Amino acid sequence: MTGKRMGLIFFPAFDWSISPTHPEREERLLYTRDQIFEEGLMDLPEVEEYKPRLAELKDIARVHLCVPNVEAQVTDAHLIAAGSTLVLADAYMDKKITNAFALVRPPGHHSMRVAHGNRGFCNVNNEAIMVEYIRRKYGIRKVAIVDTDVHHGDGTQEIFYHDPDVLFISFHQDGRTLYPGSGFMDELGGPKAMARTINIPLPPETPDEGIHYVLDELVLPILKEFDPQLVVNSAGQDNHYTDPLANMRFSAQGYARLNEKLSPDIAVLEGGYAIETALPYVNTGIILAMAGLDYSHVREPDFVPGQFQMSRTMKATIEAIVQHQKDAWDRRDELTDTAVSRAGPFYRRKKSIFYDTDMISESQEESVRMCPHCSGYMTISSRASKGYGTSDRVFGVFVPLFACHRCREEAKEEYESRKTDSAFDYIYLQDKTADDYRCYSVHEKNERVY
Amino acid sequence: MLIGIDVGGTTTDAVLIEEGKVIRTAKVPTDHDNLLECLISPLDDIIRDVPLEKIERVVLSTTLITNLIAEGKTDPVALVLEPGPGMNPDDYTLGDEVHIIRGAIDFRGREIQPLDEKQMKNVAATLADRGYEKIAVVSKFGQRNSAHEERMKAIITGVSPKIQVEMGHQASGWLNFPRRAATTMLKVATQDRYRKFAAEINKAISQRKIKAPVYILKADGGTLPLDKSMESPVETIFSGPAASSMGVMALTPPDQTSVVVDIGGTTTDLALILDGKPLISSTGAKVDSFLTHIRAFSVKSVALGGDSIVRAAGDGVTLGPERAGPAFCLGGPEPTPTDAMKFLEMIDIGDGSLAEEAMVGLGRELDCSAEDVARKVVDVAVETLVREIDQMFLAWEQEPAYRVWEVLQKEKIRPQNVVGVGGGSLGLVPLVAERMNTTGIIPENATVANAIGAAVARPTLTLTFRADTERGVYTVAEDGTSGEVRDRKMDLEQAEDMARKLIVERAERLGVGEYAGEAVVTHSEVFNMVRGWSTVGRLLDVEMEIPAGLISEWTGGGR
Repeated sequence: MTGKRMGLIFFPAFDWSISPTHPEREERLLYTRDQIFEEGLMDLPEVEEYKPRLAELKDIARVHLCVPNVEAQVTDAHLIAAGSTLVLADAYMDKKITNAFALVRPPGHHSMRVAHGNRGFCNVNNEAIMVEYIRRKYGIRKVAIVDTDVHHGDGTQEIFYHDPDVLFISFHQDGRTLYPGSGFMDELGGPKAMARTINIPLPPETPDEGIHYVLDELVLPILKEFDPQLVVNSAGQDNHYTDPLANMRFSAQGYARLNEKLSPDIAVLEGGYAIETALPYVNTGIILAMAGLDYSHVREPDFVPGQFQMSRTMKATIEAIVQHQKDAWDRRDELTDTAVSRAGPFYRRKKSIFYDTDMISESQEESVRMCPHCSGYMTISSRASKGYGTSDRVFGVFVPLFACHRCREEAKEEYESRKTDSAFDYIYLQDKTADDYRCYSVHEKNERVY
Repeated sequence: MLIGIDVGGTTTDAVLIEEGKVIRTAKVPTDHDNLLECLISPLDDIIRDVPLEKIERVVLSTTLITNLIAEGKTDPVALVLEPGPGMNPDDYTLGDEVHIIRGAIDFRGREIQPLDEKQMKNVAATLADRGYEKIAVVSKFGQRNSAHEERMKAIITGVSPKIQVEMGHQASGWLNFPRRAATTMLKVATQDRYRKFAAEINKAISQRKIKAPVYILKADGGTLPLDKSMESPVETIFSGPAASSMGVMALTPPDQTSVVVDIGGTTTDLALILDGKPLISSTGAKVDSFLTHIRAFSVKSVALGGDSIVRAAGDGVTLGPERAGPAFCLGGPEPTPTDAMKFLEMIDIGDGSLAEEAMVGLGRELDCSAEDVARKVVDVAVETLVREIDQMFLAWEQEPAYRVWEVLQKEKIRPQNVVGVGGGSLGLVPLVAERMNTTGIIPENATVANAIGAAVARPTLTLTFRADTERGVYTVAEDGTSGEVRDRKMDLEQAEDMARKLIVERAERLGVGEYAGEAVVTHSEVFNMVRGWSTVGRLLDVEMEIPAGLISEWTGGGR
């Protein structure tokens, strides 16, 4: 016995796929099932297996503005994947377990606040849904999410971009060489949350050594200083050297050691599509590491220790990135002051978002009140073109969890006044302080409350 | 005529059944040092003056294996494991003589590291030197490709032909390497003594000129011809609770949902029958300290029985967990739930004045009347059982699910009946049922329900079929057999047809061919293997079983 008691939900969704040959298909966790069941991991006294449940629609609405409504954006599989994280969240917060791993699909870290469809295999953001559920239900405030998927966790970043209480750190293959093409060092967070978003774009072919350098020199020291009440690993497995969709050189040992060092309270599976050559070994390694057991015998069949070396150039590049982001983190207060004073009473930005899976082009205009008392209410106007000249036009008003009275009142007024704005099809209110989520159809003149 | 004999922990029960009616019963105390005698003496009792040619079937359920393992009387077995990559094999607790061999098979059954034959040879020599006569060899994923296990066996036999080698893939085909290793070890550790026991039974039966076939009851409520059971005697462990559940199935109307409450002296065994089907543990039985792959009913043992010691605690009472002897009213040393029930006139055993004495004594400690204290005892017993039953249903509802439909369909089920069997049930079961708003049933012959269950249980059988069309092979886990699949496009219907054919063959091989028609598909699933953007093959899984059930000759219990 290691003193650990790890909660585990394995939900491979053996009867769900995006399409028959899509990487997100029934077969994805089949060999992982074989390996972890054959190992007998579920029998270990350190591992407690939980049963998934469906998330409530309200749990989704707490994070996402789903167009036109939550039901249209989620299948039962999505509700179960999200619901699994909530089961584990409750068990963790009730201290029934010491840490947890939601080994579930479908994934979620590319899903942004406004959800018009599927991007990067994701419809709704499992980690964000879990974090907001925990913060709402258990009253904690400071959370760190470390995204260890090979792709930039752009959805999670966008959802918490303006929240100074959520530290989002993502290391990933450089966006110039991989989907979604973002996650550069200058994406540091909204004016009031500068350097609470830390991106670490790594050169292709970065091996264990490089990723562990980033972890030791940047991620762990920042986490220590930030001192969060909850650490979440957005645990993609596609940094693996055999992943068909990316080009990194990370190993199962590397992943296991990462989880041992990071010691996340809750890990949630994201991507990873080397279904035979990586996933069975990586998942076994992560489970053993989180259960506090010896993972040194976990090894891919073709792995030779020391086979991936870093070039001197790569080493220098990574050191420079780490130094750059370390500086940003150290200067976070200064950066915040500058950005807030530059923004004026409202910070505004325009964004274009492309949904690769569903071929939707969205353009957004975002506005955040630079409130001196809270992180400020936000509005988003969004227009999504779905081809053939059809488009959805929506407007959302967002009240953050710890909003001040004035921001709440102004946000509500804005919501009410937009109800007659014929430039939009739907108007949304997401009031996290009141846990109140509404959707108003301008054409049908009716309101839906979650 | 049907005969059922259940050798239980405390008593051995025997019944003789004719045309759906129990016509004779016998009960003797179990003598664990002479189980054969225990079986034979009640048998002789119930067959006295019976025309032997009318006996159609004899079914035995024994604690032999349970005792052998509990008392450490099994044969020493060395374990040779080929774990490949994964957990550190030192973290498994599988006994003292465990050897690790280099080599590995993966989840698809592909060799990923050749077997280190030299190392195997050395280990075999060491074990032969140490005098081991039995060795279990188990590869991780050996059930998907048994080549390394076969080779290990050949090497050991080459070193010393005397050594008996048992291979993991023939003990169990399910995923879970440590459970398969434990099951293989227990299988080979109990074989010889069981064989001896079975031979003695055969001899005793033939001396009595009984020509009827003799069956043995397994932990999954199924019967197997005695001769065939010698291959894997460990499956007969825990047949007692299985016998009780089968008895309840036999004595209550079909297709109902019942909880079986078997109240003994020290413990109460709870089991579930869902829509007429006994609930099987989803993972396999725990035997001694070993988790195994032995199919067994899901039985929960609660430390509360008719003879549990009652103690005053605060202003209430605690029951158990120990037993100090029989109830006070039966000459025992301590007050018990049985005394409380006797005092309240809920049951009619023992000496009423002794029961009163027990309750008065307790009442004095708690400063209340004997009647109040007796009611408290009964209330605590009922509350405990109700809570445990609820938890059992909850645990069943919380079994993991791996498919969307499984999460969506699992409904909340509560029992229609609470059925009491065993000596202590008479008083408590009606109260438990009342508290749960269900029907309480104490069937006629409840005290020998276990022997009835044995007598009328039919054979069970499982078959786990897997085809990998990319590799062009199929395997049948239970037999450790494999064969060729030529059709890459094999569909689920073809796979099920093949599994059906194979289970018929398997049933015939095990001497239960007449029940092959009862086999049903319990799970079937196909995965397309996609590499790049094209389908390169399919994985087809089909699980079939002859579920636990009653032989058609049984016409009792409202049938």
